[in-house]
Amino acid sequence: MRRTLTRIVIGLLALGVLTGPVAAQQKKLSLLTWNIPIYKEKIEGWIADFKKIHPDVTVEWFDKKGPEWGPFYQTQVVAGTAPDIIDTQGAIWLDYAANGALVDLTPHLQRDAAVKDYYNPKFLHTWVYEGKNYMVPFYVSKTLLFYNKTMLNEAGITRPPQTFDELLDAARKMTKGEKSGFMTLNFDWLYWPLLAMNGVELLTPDLKKAAFNTPAAVRTVEALAKATADGTINKVAWTGRWVEPNNAFASGTVGLYQAHSPAFFYVRGGGPWINGDTLGATQMPGGFATPNSHGLGISKSSKHPELAWEFIKLATSEKWAYTFGKNFKLFTGTRVDGRLMDELQKEDPLAASVMKTQLEHVDKLVATWPLGKDAQVKEAFYSEFQAAVLGRKPAAAALAEAERKVNRLLAR
Amino acid sequence: MRPSRAAAVHGALLAISVVMLVPFYWVLKTSLTGENIFQYPPALLPRAIHPFYYVDVWYDIPFVRYVTNSVIVSAIVVASNLVCNALAAYALTLRFRGKRAIIGLLLSCMLIPFQATIIPAYLITKELRLLNSHLGLALPLCSTIVCIFVFKASFDAVPRSLIDAARIDGLPEWRIIRHVMLPLSTSAVATTVILSFIWSWNSFLWPLIVIRNPELQTLPLGLSTFLSYMENTTGALYAFCIMVLVPGIALFLLEQRRFIEGLTSGATKG
Amino acid sequence: MRRARGTLLIWAFLAPSLTIFLLYRILPLLWNAALSVQTWSPFRPSAFAGLIHYEELLFHDEVFWTSLWNTVVFMSSSPIAIALALGLALLVDTRIRGRGVYRAIIFLSYPLMTVAVGIIWRWLYDEKVGLINYVLLSLHLTQRRIAFLDSYEWAMPSVVVAAVWQIVGFFMVILLAGLQNIPPNLQEAAALDGASAVQRFRHVTLPLLRPAIFLCLMIGIINSFTSFDLIYVMTGGGPNYATEVLITYIYRVAFVLSKFDYAAALTVVLFLFLLVLTWLANRVAGGEAGAVDAAE
Repeated sequence: MRRTLTRIVIGLLALGVLTGPVAAQQKKLSLLTWNIPIYKEKIEGWIADFKKIHPDVTVEWFDKKGPEWGPFYQTQVVAGTAPDIIDTQGAIWLDYAANGALVDLTPHLQRDAAVKDYYNPKFLHTWVYEGKNYMVPFYVSKTLLFYNKTMLNEAGITRPPQTFDELLDAARKMTKGEKSGFMTLNFDWLYWPLLAMNGVELLTPDLKKAAFNTPAAVRTVEALAKATADGTINKVAWTGRWVEPNNAFASGTVGLYQAHSPAFFYVRGGGPWINGDTLGATQMPGGFATPNSHGLGISKSSKHPELAWEFIKLATSEKWAYTFGKNFKLFTGTRVDGRLMDELQKEDPLAASVMKTQLEHVDKLVATWPLGKDAQVKEAFYSEFQAAVLGRKPAAAALAEAERKVNRLLAR
Repeated sequence: MRPSRAAAVHGALLAISVVMLVPFYWVLKTSLTGENIFQYPPALLPRAIHPFYYVDVWYDIPFVRYVTNSVIVSAIVVASNLVCNALAAYALTLRFRGKRAIIGLLLSCMLIPFQATIIPAYLITKELRLLNSHLGLALPLCSTIVCIFVFKASFDAVPRSLIDAARIDGLPEWRIIRHVMLPLSTSAVATTVILSFIWSWNSFLWPLIVIRNPELQTLPLGLSTFLSYMENTTGALYAFCIMVLVPGIALFLLEQRRFIEGLTSGATKG
Repeated sequence: MRRARGTLLIWAFLAPSLTIFLLYRILPLLWNAALSVQTWSPFRPSAFAGLIHYEELLFHDEVFWTSLWNTVVFMSSSPIAIALALGLALLVDTRIRGRGVYRAIIFLSYPLMTVAVGIIWRWLYDEKVGLINYVLLSLHLTQRRIAFLDSYEWAMPSVVVAAVWQIVGFFMVILLAGLQNIPPNLQEAAALDGASAVQRFRHVTLPLLRPAIFLCLMIGIINSFTSFDLIYVMTGGGPNYATEVLITYIYRVAFVLSKFDYAAALTVVLFLFLLVLTWLANRVAGGEAGAVDAAE
């Protein structure tokens, strides 16, 4: 028995040593995407098309979920083997750009003028840091206001709120028992429109100091805290991540919900009550919205940056952007979006009414500060903000503390 | 044992068992019915049981490949742990200079969290050219301090007389381990097998970082597939968790016999 | 001559394990220590920075202190878990029928993937749809629902309960292995001397279980590492750092905020803190890692 076991072990060890890496014959490109495993077929389509044009290149594809993406990518960067093409969501690219991990795409865009015009300039601009453009749009979304028409009607509200005070007022009217009036997503600055519509700026124009400790901001935060305390704003707005707020709205107990467009598909799946008569979609008061898009970029350590650029152009080309957008009812930040919108209007009017908000008011995008320390500033600000709206700290003290922290961060 | 005493013991154990099992009941129930756990009030009894989520798990991920990889890596880890830890523990039962320092060193090593070592561990594995390999996956777990101490405690309890007798008989040290120490440390062996298997089988962060080749992915990495973007495949997610759990429990039940041999028998030591 | 060969053999026996630890624990710790006195990010040259990170974390970082405190709180639950596990180990070690079944049931929680444990407990504690609130309301034990994971007061205890649930089986297994090392003739001799069960436990069993208990205490000290996934999935460190322990903070600083140099300093501080705790625990357990010569 022991002897057999020993033999098996030696065999397995040998197997382990033998299944080591094999030297690469071909050129290799690697693509890392952010939590989009359901797009598998399409991505394989990109790879197949690319192979036709460049038969001597193999493309390998990894997809990682949000919390795992960071450790995986960062480890690869340190080891010098970062994936050539990366897809990031939200503002995480800023850290990488600031640390010099991404290739500046501005020369590529300028060289291919047709390509540059192809991308929606307002969305393209959200990936500019220190004057350099680091990514191109691949899947764009921004926040909007969903509203439960039934709840609005029951409370006697005739139209979606047009100002901040109307928002809180309407929410208050709809709050009763298990139901709450307003909820928002809170990751990646998605709650910022609430502050923007009250004239609050995060930083001074030179991005060197905090500018949010103003009486207007204090008043806004106090109003939010009060509304949270009396249940008008569902607490999950400040403590939930992705699943909880969506589930709460899908259960039909929340009147107004600030979220970005992907939430619609989640919520529709979990809430059988949702249809054209019961769900409305509009802009937040003032048209302010935080974008939360996916962009494609190239790692500095890539051995084939030109090929990587070719791949990106292919992935976002008309053919694929259209296929993507069509299949998954999303917009791509390119010229194709107009056509997608028209077709969506005919096929799925409810989704179209939601997606319409994504192309409107693109000049009112907020929370797009090109800060190298975006993640840290976000953390510093939100920790104080959350404490204030959850009633742990008075608003004035929280904002003052946040100002101190942010200034410290930016000064270093 | 007096019947009233036995009844009391049973009562206590039953109460504990119920508490321990409640979460499991739910995991199992949801894996068999796919009921939306976000509905309220929660349904206490399962309705419409069907095994299709288990089938889903089998097809949604390359199940056989993942299991094979996990088995290979875990086999390496368990075998290596048995050998390395028993040897090290035996060395620690002998007297030598620097023994206290080594024990202190080992205890200190326990205090180093894996999450803080990911990047250097990756770089080291890269230097060893073991990235993307089963051995590379197994290596960090090939010896664990907890198991060394479990073996050591067990070896310490072996009566001196037996060891001395074996030495007088001229047995080389490694033979002493094999024929004197290990047979009297059945529960230490069982513990090492069970624990090293579980740590290797459930290991998630290390395979995530070290494997780029999809051929070599281990079972826990399949978890991401079920924690999908929409996060509403709870039935399949729980079915997956149960399937990952089964080998660990099966191994525990198999090794239990070794445990039972060693405990309350009164014949092994002393 | 014989002495030298003996020593060589001893080090040869220790070598395999020590190599693994050198590669995967000691060298990484040294890497962290070196990094902690530099400013560094990939693609930028590193610069020696002295103790600025340490200064930052000790004097300007309230999250560090909060998470340190939370780590201590988390650790303090392990004596309770160990006591519970000891009780269970003794119970399943008796000659009742079906003890194998009980043993398996109690151990069942440990091999379950920690991520799964986190998900299911998150649901159990859910304010709106969770089972615990449902039971509490149905049995009229509370008037209103309790937001376990969203409230400052309940978040940490809730996480601790889940962590204890998962680890109690593990402690039980260690203690059961330790029970095997107790020669039963000592128990019999004590019984013959007229010692009651309680006295036997206190004077025979407990002292001889010292190595196993010490091991459990050590594991309890690092429990926040092993429960990393649990905390991350259940609360992500929230609400507002109420459940943030040092290891989740380190992870976040390294991989979300991309500040590896600062994370390295935090790691070194965590290590030193635990080292002090371990040294204290060792002193309390009587030195020599609680080892006891059973032949005496």
